[in-house]
Amino acid sequence: MDWRQLWEIASAPDNIPIVALLFFVPFFFWYAFRQAFATDRLIRRLGGDPQLAKTHHRKIEPYREIWEPKLHVWPYLLRVEFLAALIMTVLLMVWSITLDAPLEEPANPNLTMNPAKAPWYFLGLQEMLVYFDPWIAGVVMPTLIILGLMAIPYADANPLGNGYYTFKQRKFAILSFCFGFLVLWLSMIFIGTFIRGPGWMWFWPGETWDHHRLVFEVNRNLNEILGIYSQPWVGLVGFVAVVIYFALFGWLIHKLVVWNDFNKKIYERMTLLQYLILQFFMLTMLALPVKIILRLLFRIKYVWVTPWFSI
Amino acid sequence: MVQHMNPWKRFVEWWKSLPRLEDQPVPEEDPIISRSLSWPIAISSLLLTVTLLWAFYNEGWGLRPWVRYQNRFVELYRKHLQRIGPLRAEEERALHESEGYQKLQEQLKNAEAEIRNQLAAINAEEQMVRRQLDALTPVFTTERSRIQAVIYEIETASEEDRERLRKELEELRRGPFEVDLPVSASAAIKIEEKQFSFEEMEELFNELKAEQGRLQNRRIVLLRRPTEIRREMEAYLKARLDGLTTAQVHGLMAKMDQFRVEIKQIHNPEMNLVDRCESCHLGAREPVLVTTRDMEGMKVFTSHPKVELLTLHDPEVFGCSPCHNGNGAATVSTSKAHGNYKHWLWPLYKRENFEAGCLQCHEADRNLRMAPVLNAGKELFYNRGCWGCHAREGFDSETRELRDARKMVEDLAASRQNTEIVIERTVARADRAATNEEADRLYAQAESMTLSMAHMDTLSQRYRSRIDELLMEVKTQGPNLKEIRAKLRKEWIPVWVSNPHAFRPTTKMPRFRLQQDEIEAMTAFLWQNGINAPVPAQPPGNPSNGKQLFETRGCMACHAMGEGRDAVGGTFAANLSRVGEKVNYDYLVRWIHNPRERLYPYCPVHRRDITPQDYASKGLPFEFSLENNRCPLGDHSLQVQNRTVMPNLRLSWEEARDVASFLMTQRKADAFYPPAPFVDQQLLEKGRFLTRHYGCHGCHEIAGLEESDKNATDLTKEGSKPIERLDFALLTHEARKEDWYNHKGFFEHKLADPAVYDQGKIKQPLERLRMPNFNFNREQIDQLTTYLLGSVDSVIPEKFHYRPTGPPRDIQEGWWVVMKYNCDACHQFEPGQRTVLQDLPRYQDPDWRDQLPPSLIGEGARVNPEWLARFLKNPALSSTDLNRNGVRNYLQARMPTFNLSDGEVQKLVRFFEALSEQRSPYLPPPIPALDDGELALARQLFTHPAAPCLVCHATGDPERDKNSTAPNFLLVRERLKPDWTERWIVHPEIIRPGTAMPSGLFRWDGTRYVFALAELESFKGYTGDHAHLVVRYMFQLTPEEQRRLKAH
Repeated sequence: MDWRQLWEIASAPDNIPIVALLFFVPFFFWYAFRQAFATDRLIRRLGGDPQLAKTHHRKIEPYREIWEPKLHVWPYLLRVEFLAALIMTVLLMVWSITLDAPLEEPANPNLTMNPAKAPWYFLGLQEMLVYFDPWIAGVVMPTLIILGLMAIPYADANPLGNGYYTFKQRKFAILSFCFGFLVLWLSMIFIGTFIRGPGWMWFWPGETWDHHRLVFEVNRNLNEILGIYSQPWVGLVGFVAVVIYFALFGWLIHKLVVWNDFNKKIYERMTLLQYLILQFFMLTMLALPVKIILRLLFRIKYVWVTPWFSI
Repeated sequence: MVQHMNPWKRFVEWWKSLPRLEDQPVPEEDPIISRSLSWPIAISSLLLTVTLLWAFYNEGWGLRPWVRYQNRFVELYRKHLQRIGPLRAEEERALHESEGYQKLQEQLKNAEAEIRNQLAAINAEEQMVRRQLDALTPVFTTERSRIQAVIYEIETASEEDRERLRKELEELRRGPFEVDLPVSASAAIKIEEKQFSFEEMEELFNELKAEQGRLQNRRIVLLRRPTEIRREMEAYLKARLDGLTTAQVHGLMAKMDQFRVEIKQIHNPEMNLVDRCESCHLGAREPVLVTTRDMEGMKVFTSHPKVELLTLHDPEVFGCSPCHNGNGAATVSTSKAHGNYKHWLWPLYKRENFEAGCLQCHEADRNLRMAPVLNAGKELFYNRGCWGCHAREGFDSETRELRDARKMVEDLAASRQNTEIVIERTVARADRAATNEEADRLYAQAESMTLSMAHMDTLSQRYRSRIDELLMEVKTQGPNLKEIRAKLRKEWIPVWVSNPHAFRPTTKMPRFRLQQDEIEAMTAFLWQNGINAPVPAQPPGNPSNGKQLFETRGCMACHAMGEGRDAVGGTFAANLSRVGEKVNYDYLVRWIHNPRERLYPYCPVHRRDITPQDYASKGLPFEFSLENNRCPLGDHSLQVQNRTVMPNLRLSWEEARDVASFLMTQRKADAFYPPAPFVDQQLLEKGRFLTRHYGCHGCHEIAGLEESDKNATDLTKEGSKPIERLDFALLTHEARKEDWYNHKGFFEHKLADPAVYDQGKIKQPLERLRMPNFNFNREQIDQLTTYLLGSVDSVIPEKFHYRPTGPPRDIQEGWWVVMKYNCDACHQFEPGQRTVLQDLPRYQDPDWRDQLPPSLIGEGARVNPEWLARFLKNPALSSTDLNRNGVRNYLQARMPTFNLSDGEVQKLVRFFEALSEQRSPYLPPPIPALDDGELALARQLFTHPAAPCLVCHATGDPERDKNSTAPNFLLVRERLKPDWTERWIVHPEIIRPGTAMPSGLFRWDGTRYVFALAELESFKGYTGDHAHLVVRYMFQLTPEEQRRLKAH
């Protein structure tokens, strides 16, 4: 266990946000879900007690007749926000006093640093470069992530769950978020920070980052595994594989979308366009973990090799 | 029961057992309305305030540690000044009371009294003028600007407006302007109200200004004498006062009173330099020498330890960090400013390496004043043959130049051949041309090509002669291994190769990491690859005479004798304590007689040695020398000398035999060498490969490998190589932990153990690091590390690099030659320099001290450069009588023949001229011939019994010269410069302290030098300078005249 190095990584000014993330994300995850589950129980109670449901009930808090049903933003919300702003300002100031900007040596174009790492918030993107070619990982995927996030409100056919925490009413959305953000995005940032060492090699936490380390790792394209080397068969094989992926996982996602009665109801509210958008972005998102597994476990470099891009 | 539940169920149970939000007791009051946030907000606001204060503190003090340093410095420095002030004052008071100073003060008082009245009158007058000007100036300048504005308007106005404006201007000029002008009316001053037009005002203004100038001038003239006296008084004090005057101390105190706490910055845009080092190192440049003790232990405030360096390199121009490294712009902490953190590429040099900084600009200096460590590093780099494997700018430039010149000659020959063909064709075309014009044009073309061919020939000739010179200049650090069969005992070779340090601890030859089979192969290769030619057998000599010769001829300036602490002699060449165990007597005699003599000459064009058969095949005798150096197989030069720097001491064969016999006795009695039979074709091939692989050819001449390249990394810019390019291998993490992951650490570990970075690596024998172990000690490692650390891509602009022209460059270049041939082991070039011979036990004896080779301080002033060049080429100054010194025949130490090339001779001559600041070229002054009367007088002086010159000075007569201790006068005319000679005979003690030449032969009688030892009757009427007369006589002394004198 190389504690010295672990400390060096964890204490680097660049990595403070990520270390903080390790504590904050689980905390807020727990905090939000506690709230959401409480609301869900309340919804169940209200469902079983129509009389109670008619009152102006403040979502999660227990009902008291004398309590105002609605409260003003000023002062009740703004004062809390002001307090938060105060605490945040103090935190930022202390941070800026104690930790200097991590300025490094003058750039030398003849000698790039190893490992050369992006800022922490981009490390997920950089990690993606391991699995896709730069065109896909660097341009297509980020664009799709942004477009997908923008499309969410339009593709969302579920009218429930606005303005309060709930899990029951938005299971599909919340689980998609948990998978896409917490599992994929954050874990990739974590990998990029703590796991990837010199040569972007995989080092378990505490393993010494040795520039001279040699590992045996041969990655091959799918067509090479299948023994196909000439065009157009190479392109065709990949295309077929991708089509199979879309078909198989499209079917799986559809199964999820119509998992239970509630989901089915939502599904019925969807237009065809909404459904296709949902399918497309879900498939694209799922492509990442699939490719990670193919690459890390089966040593497959690209599934679909074309002269223009590779997947 | 619970224990057997599966973990997931247990987790769910636990989750469900957690208190639920809705289970919390329900308050009566609405929590959002009723809950007060006052406390959290109050505390947060307080925290914010505290943070804000912290930020202010950090900005003002936390990030400005130099503020504390500056306040402390002012305090300590003031204290120090207060301490030394009274001491200075005491000293000064004593001086003020001294007679000389009192006299000056008296003079000053008189001079001032003399001019007092005049001065007062001038002052009064000037005051009047000034008052008038004060009154006039505001009115005048205001009106002037108004008028000028109108003039500008006229210049730019349209035609129709112009007339109107002009009138306006007229009116403006007319005025009138009122001025309250003070006028002197008898004793008092009266103010008169006057009216002027602009012209009048202008005239008056100019008149007053001129008057003011005249008055000031008069005052300066008047004050000239007192000012002069004051200056004299100052000079008087300065000359007698060591350090500062009290006035200066007071000045410094005043400076401390007005001290401003601020960043002290040196900014030189030309160098892109911003240095703030003096924000803390405040005492570095103070005129008072400040020690750590003066500053109560605050090292940071001490003066720069070498003030002279700062006078040479003005800190306002050079700053600090260009020499010392570190981050000159940083001010937030010591470690940041000193660059001691991960991302600063140029951390402050450590104490033992700080001279590395000099190299940025002084790359071209071989011998740099005030940089002994760096010089030693360079010397090691040369002497240990580092340049044999590592290319390094400045070293081994001869080989590079030789290669280029040879290439040039080849290219010229090829293009000459081409041109010939083209000419032939052009002429042929011209012959067939249809018209006359066409034919003429082609003939002209052919002719111009013929001319260009002639140019090529000249060029080629120039390169050829340069090649001849370079063949003399190229040296190798190790001996010529082609002659190994003639020179060595075979059994000794494997023993030596396996570990040279065991046989000779101080040897230059490093220890390679060789396996037994590799040693055998290399021995087999070297032996079988050597020249198999007989060396004439020599009869035995006389060892005891040989010992005497070895110790007195000067061998020990380079060679040492005795092992370990008993070693006596120079370290430039091998320690010869056990030389008898390895060499053949016959070869050794030949070597001592002339080390440059080769068995076979080497032909760089055919890339092999030229054998007697080659000569015979062309019907030529097997003879070669520096004059006869043509290759029998083609028109090019041969390498006819061994590439050793060891010179020819011009010993006779007999003496050489004696010395060799003595050296053969230098052996351990119990020396035993196992037989080494290794002779085998397969071994030979393997040995050839290994020899090349380990780079033996870098230092040794080996048949077949003469033109092989260097096989190690170029070190010219090694100090600025990115740290990532230095391979710490498996030691990287250890180095980081132990804090030597930097250039210094890399070099030091590598030099201490060149195999260190192979540690733990699994490698094939041939893949291992090849650098051998040199057995460097701590000091040598520091010296070399300093040199390597300084070998950087300089960040200082070219114009600041020390690449002088004229005499300073001659000095720079000269040192390279001097150090190459180790001239400084016998001769002094600079005051304070110790030679090897001076420190030998033998020369501690006063009788032997006179036997030391001459000091060459001031040599350039002494000798005629043309003669010096001749002497350096042939120190015997004779083509027949070689076994002697040309100038100082009485010395037992011998000035050897170095076979310097013309270029090197010229460099040395210019070096001496430049060291003595001689004007170049040297034109000997005309010396008027003596008339008969003068001749008689001169003879009388020359042979006067009080100072008989010829008793000490040699005459060329062996019988007489037995006791002589000074050079022959017949050399004077060609050898010396007359003005130096005159200075010498008048004051030899000043020119060469401790000389045997008597001083006080002449004394100054106010107008000329006269003979001091006796009043001579015959000189009664002679008005000329006696010393000058003698010098003139010496410069026209002929052998006949000298014989005549001897007869006396």
